[in-house]
Amino acid sequence: MAVMKFPVVELAKDKFQVSVDMSLYAKEVIMATIYKFSHLFYIHQQTDTNNQTLVNVIFESKDNNMITEDIPKQFCNELIDQQIRYNTNAQFGHIRDMIVQEAFKPVTSK
Amino acid sequence: MAYQLLPFRFEWFNENEYLLTNEVGEYIFLQNNDFQRFVNGELDEHSELFYDIESKQIATTDKVEDVVQMLATKFRTKKSILRDFTSLHMVVPTLRCNSSCIYCQVARKNMDDHSADMTKKTAKNVVKTIFQSPSPCIKIEFQGGDPSTDFDMVKYIIEEAEWQNLFKKKELDFVICTNLTLLNKDMVKYLKKHKCMISTSLDGPKDLHDTNRPLQNKKLDHHAIFEKNLAMIRQIWGNNDCVSALMTTSKHSLGRFKDIIDEYIRLGFNNIFLRSLNPYGFAKQYKEKIAYPVEEFIANYKEGLDYIIELNKQGTFFVEGFAALLLKRILTPFATGFVDLQSPAGVGIAGAIYDYDGNVYVSDEARMMARFMNYYFKLGNVNENTYQEMFNGELLHHIIASACNECLPVCAECVFQPYCGADPVRNMSEQGDMVGFRPTNEMCKKTKAIIHYLFELLQKHDPEINRIFWSWLN
Ligand code: SF4
Repeated sequence: MAVMKFPVVELAKDKFQVSVDMSLYAKEVIMATIYKFSHLFYIHQQTDTNNQTLVNVIFESKDNNMITEDIPKQFCNELIDQQIRYNTNAQFGHIRDMIVQEAFKPVTSK
Repeated sequence: MAYQLLPFRFEWFNENEYLLTNEVGEYIFLQNNDFQRFVNGELDEHSELFYDIESKQIATTDKVEDVVQMLATKFRTKKSILRDFTSLHMVVPTLRCNSSCIYCQVARKNMDDHSADMTKKTAKNVVKTIFQSPSPCIKIEFQGGDPSTDFDMVKYIIEEAEWQNLFKKKELDFVICTNLTLLNKDMVKYLKKHKCMISTSLDGPKDLHDTNRPLQNKKLDHHAIFEKNLAMIRQIWGNNDCVSALMTTSKHSLGRFKDIIDEYIRLGFNNIFLRSLNPYGFAKQYKEKIAYPVEEFIANYKEGLDYIIELNKQGTFFVEGFAALLLKRILTPFATGFVDLQSPAGVGIAGAIYDYDGNVYVSDEARMMARFMNYYFKLGNVNENTYQEMFNGELLHHIIASACNECLPVCAECVFQPYCGADPVRNMSEQGDMVGFRPTNEMCKKTKAIIHYLFELLQKHDPEINRIFWSWLN
C-alpha cells in the first residue's frame, strides 16, 4: 500500500479519516459528498478538537465493504467537483429560477 | 469574469474530459484544464472554444435577460408534454389470460374464471372518467390479462368511447396489448375498422419466446400460433405497421440479444425496445430464477445496440427504441413524452390505469403493487370518486412533488438530468420511499450507463453512426 499523507489518515483496519479544510469547502459540499458514499460506509463527521477550521470525516466499513485507500481519494476528488457545483450554482442559480419562471409564466392575451 | 455562466451541470466523462449539459440538454465536452479555466472565468471570450460554449448557451457575453428568454422558450418546448395532462389511459377489461409468462405479475386468472372481469357499469364509468381529461388527445390502451379473452368488453369500451367522442371531439386512438394467439379474422377486422392498433410481446426466437411466455395449454405451440396470426393480421390490415412488438429480458434472454434482434427482423419488424425486467414483486427464490444484476442487462444492451448499428451500416433500417428516445432528447430541441422516463414523472399526469374493478392507479407498476396489498398509488375508484378527486386530489399533487428530477438528490446535479426522468412508484417499490436513493438505484444505474454509452458513440464523430442515429429520430 502506498504511504498516505494528510489529509487522509488510516485510523484502524477498515477505518479512514479525511480532514476537510472548511476554508476551502462549504458545509453543504461536504454533506452532498458524504451522501454519495453513504451506501458503502458508515460515515461520521466531527469538527477537529484542535483546529476548528477542520472537519474530520471518518469512514468505517459497512456490509464487509473493503475500504481501500482509493475511497478517501475518490472522496477528495468528489469534494472538488461538489465545491465547483456550489460555486457555479452561486453564479447562475438565480438564472435557473428565471428560466423556469419565464417558461411557465401564464400567457396573457390582450 | 468577462462572461456570465449560464445554468449547466457537469460530470467527469473520462480521464481527460468533462461533459457539460445545460437546462435544455445542449452539451459540450471540455478538456480537464479547459473546464477549470472556464469555471474560474479565465477563458478568453474571443477564443474558438468560448464561442463553442456560448453557442451551446452554457455561458454568455450578451444581456442575461435576452438569453433567459431564449432558454425559457426552449425549456417550455421541452416541457410541453405537460400542457395536455393525462392522455394515455390504460384499461384492464379482465385479468383472464391463456399464457403463463414466467415474469407475469398481474395475478392473472384462468380462462374460465370470470371473477376479475370488468362490468359494464364500471366500463361506462371508466370511459366517462377518461373523457373528463382535458387532453385533446386520448389514447385508450387495453391491458390485461389478455384483453382478447374478453373481446366483448373491449368492443363495449371502444364503442362507448366513440360515442362519448361524438360530443368531445378529441383525437381518439386505441391500442390493444395481446399475445395475438386468440385473435381471429373477425376480431382483427373489427380492430381495423375501429383503428385499434395492436401491441404484442415477442421475446425472441421460438425456444426463448416459448420459455418466457408459455401458453397454459402445453399442447399448443405459442410461437407458431403467434407467427400465423401475425401474418393473418398484416394481411387483413394491408401493412406491417398495425402491429408493434415489445420484448422483455428474462435471465434466459441474456447472451441472446443478437438472436432476438434477428427474429424481429425475420418477422418484419423494423424496431425493438430492449427492455429489462422489473421483478420487484417476486419472492426471492423466484427472482433468482428469472432476474439478473442490472450490470448484465447493461452489457447485453450495449452489445445489442452495437449489433443494430452494424445492421444499419449494412443497409438494414432497424431502430432501437430506447436509444432513439434518448437521442431525440440529446440531439433535438423537441419534447418527448415517455411515461416511464420523464420529469415530472408521467404517473397520473401523462398516463393512468383503470383496473377491472374500477380502481385507478397512477401507473401499471402501481397496479402491480396493489396485487401485493400496497395501495399507496391508488387514486380512487371510478364508481366512487369524481375525476377531480382522483386527478386533482392531494395524493397526486403529493406524488408529483416528489417526481421532478430537477430537484431530487443527486439527479439535481446529474449531467444526464435533461435526458432522464423520475419514477416515484419504482423508487417506492424498490427503495421504500418516493424520492429513492440514487447511488444504489437500479433504474438510475441503467439509464446513466446507457446515456453514457450513447455519448461515447456520439463522441466518435463517426459520420455513419451519426447518420444512423439521425435516421432514427423521425
Ligand atoms: S436517475 Fe440517475 S441518470 Fe437519471 S438524472 Fe437521476 S442521477 Fe442522473
